[in-house]
Amino acid sequence: MSNIEAILDQDADPAAETGAVDDSDYARAILNILNDAGDEQKSQSDSQRAMLNILEDLEIEKTRLESTQKALINMLDDLETERGKVDKTNIELREVNDAMRSFVATAAHDLRSPLASMVGFSSLLANNWPTLSEEKRLKFATTIDRQSHKLTWLVNDLLTLSSIEGGVLNTQPEVIVLAEAINQCLAASSRDTTSVTVSCSPDLLVRADPSHLGRIIENYLQNAFKYGEPPVQIQASRAGGMVEIQVVDHGPGVPREFKTKLFGKFARADIPSTRNKKGTGLGLSIVRGLAEANGGQALFQPMVPHGSCFIVLLPTDTGAPPTDSGSRHTDERPRQ
Amino acid sequence: MKSVVIVEDDPDIQSLIATIFSMDPRFSVVGLAESAEEAVEIARTNEPEIIVLDDRLAGELTGVEAVPQFKEVAPEAKIILFTAHADLQARVVNQPAIDAFLLKTETGELLPLAQQLTNMLSLL
Repeated sequence: MSNIEAILDQDADPAAETGAVDDSDYARAILNILNDAGDEQKSQSDSQRAMLNILEDLEIEKTRLESTQKALINMLDDLETERGKVDKTNIELREVNDAMRSFVATAAHDLRSPLASMVGFSSLLANNWPTLSEEKRLKFATTIDRQSHKLTWLVNDLLTLSSIEGGVLNTQPEVIVLAEAINQCLAASSRDTTSVTVSCSPDLLVRADPSHLGRIIENYLQNAFKYGEPPVQIQASRAGGMVEIQVVDHGPGVPREFKTKLFGKFARADIPSTRNKKGTGLGLSIVRGLAEANGGQALFQPMVPHGSCFIVLLPTDTGAPPTDSGSRHTDERPRQ
Repeated sequence: MKSVVIVEDDPDIQSLIATIFSMDPRFSVVGLAESAEEAVEIARTNEPEIIVLDDRLAGELTGVEAVPQFKEVAPEAKIILFTAHADLQARVVNQPAIDAFLLKTETGELLPLAQQLTNMLSLL
């Protein structure tokens, strides 16, 4: 029996009641103190446990916050990336918009010029017919005729480009004797093509829409005359499963920074040699569209030391275009 | 008789403008040029009363860029900017050196406009 239990036993004994009062109180007090100490210990233990729980919670919260912070940083990175993309898209859209505005202004100018001649000379004829000499009448009528053809050509270019862009270009490929097609094109050209030399085997066949082939060659020729220098040469040969037609000039060539835009819509290099040349910048874009619509490809190759070589690859008479031609973009060909 | 210099690189339009002025005995075409540089020299020699000026020309200078030079060599000349660029009108509206703007499709207005400008000149 412990001392405390003994005290309690004495406390329970009525006979010892009178003489054991102080001891009992003392024992009770100690017991109370011990109880209090136990409670205190329990309380401290509870507090400690609570603190540990709080610390654990804080640790969890800290981990969660770190995770949230990481997620936020990732989100900010993503937002930054997205913002970069949006900025890039905005710049591209602005460029397209500027190019479109510039194109509309150029197209309006180029449409208005032949129209001005036609309106002006027809008014002169209508208002002064009796007083005009036969020679003058003929001269005015010839000018109206020439300018109306120019206008027709321009309108056709715009319509062709619109068909290409809209994916509704009507292509009717035929087997064509290339040498004959080139000669026909030279004869029908609005330019003096007598100085153009042609190198093409008479048995070389190409499969393409005849009108498209004619337009491709004519546009390349126009380009060579307008921006290049003579001599202008047309060379054609087989290249793998394709026929390669080259139109070569010996002009200043294409500025390096403009090469990637060469076959793009509205493409006109802003350099002194082209700044005052009239044109909408549609010719090469049309060539690319027509070449691709016929299972071919349009390419550019700079000449050394100067000059340009514009190339079109078209299927041969087998009618089997190369499998990857449709997916390849028209671009500069690496210098050989 | 009022003297006219025509600055235009399109030969058909140049011929048209010359024909229009040649049909009115009050005007005399004293010079034709394809570039502004060439036209400035003609204007220096002839001091015309009217200069019909296109903007996009064969030389390095545009018509608008050459206007101060025309005013320097022929200060009395009235300049008509005669172009197919409609948007140019807004850009030159505040340039007092350009006396009039006319679109190329409005050829019927060219002669009355030139007469109006030269009558204004004689009143000063």
